[in-house]
Amino acid sequence: MDMKVSEAADGLTSVVLDGRFDIAGAQQVDAEFNAVAERSTALIVDLANVTFIASLGVRTLMMSAKNLIRRGGEMAVCGANENVEKVLRTTGFNEVAGVYPDYAAAADILRSRAAEFASRKA
Amino acid sequence: MTEGRPQTVSQDFPGTLEAAEQAEAWLARQSGALGLAPDAEFAINLCVEELFLNAVRHGRANRAQISISSESSGVRLEFVDDGAPFDPAAAPVRRIRDRSEDFQIGGYGTGLLQKFSRRISYSRDAGQNRLVLEIDASAGR
Repeated sequence: MDMKVSEAADGLTSVVLDGRFDIAGAQQVDAEFNAVAERSTALIVDLANVTFIASLGVRTLMMSAKNLIRRGGEMAVCGANENVEKVLRTTGFNEVAGVYPDYAAAADILRSRAAEFASRKA
Repeated sequence: MTEGRPQTVSQDFPGTLEAAEQAEAWLARQSGALGLAPDAEFAINLCVEELFLNAVRHGRANRAQISISSESSGVRLEFVDDGAPFDPAAAPVRRIRDRSEDFQIGGYGTGLLQKFSRRISYSRDAGQNRLVLEIDASAGR
């Protein structure tokens, strides 16, 4: 699975995943994903090009969500197809990260969270 | 479409996580012959991955056999492994209930198996787990 990371000046970090978030996919991105989460406060994961996910992929997302929540940050996913979203909601992942239809909706929410986080730290 | 007589494919795999990947690649090659709808293919993939994870990580299985039958009423997935006894139909289902940092990271596979199949039958025979999952042909819901 392919993973692209962009870190914007407004505090928003975006990860775009492309491919199957299966056992091999999770193993490919797990270490980098954790590292990105560790240095983010507002993280959007774009799942629009993710065709498959099972519990190991959800595990990778949950580890990052946990890390962000612990530090007062926030994570969101966007663009998940119907089956991927069904997997996320079945595990309750949507309780610890926002699930949005598209990137713009997720970015609006997380930008304000990133600003809050920055003002708290200041 | 493959209406009419049931189509069955079957394959043996070693009990490793790499084999789970081989199984998913094998499944992708079979889906045309089985006439699987994309949602059913997703559901079968998910169930195969969760069953492999259970059998290999928790059951320490050495081998697993997967059989898939496409029937007019749906898809029948049979998974036989020689690991420790485990019935996912009877296992507790875990789901995150609220937003806090102390949620569990693992243990969600059983809930996914139950969500993406309409029925799970388990039997233990001659040192083997035999699971039969019925999956909707469209796997909607």
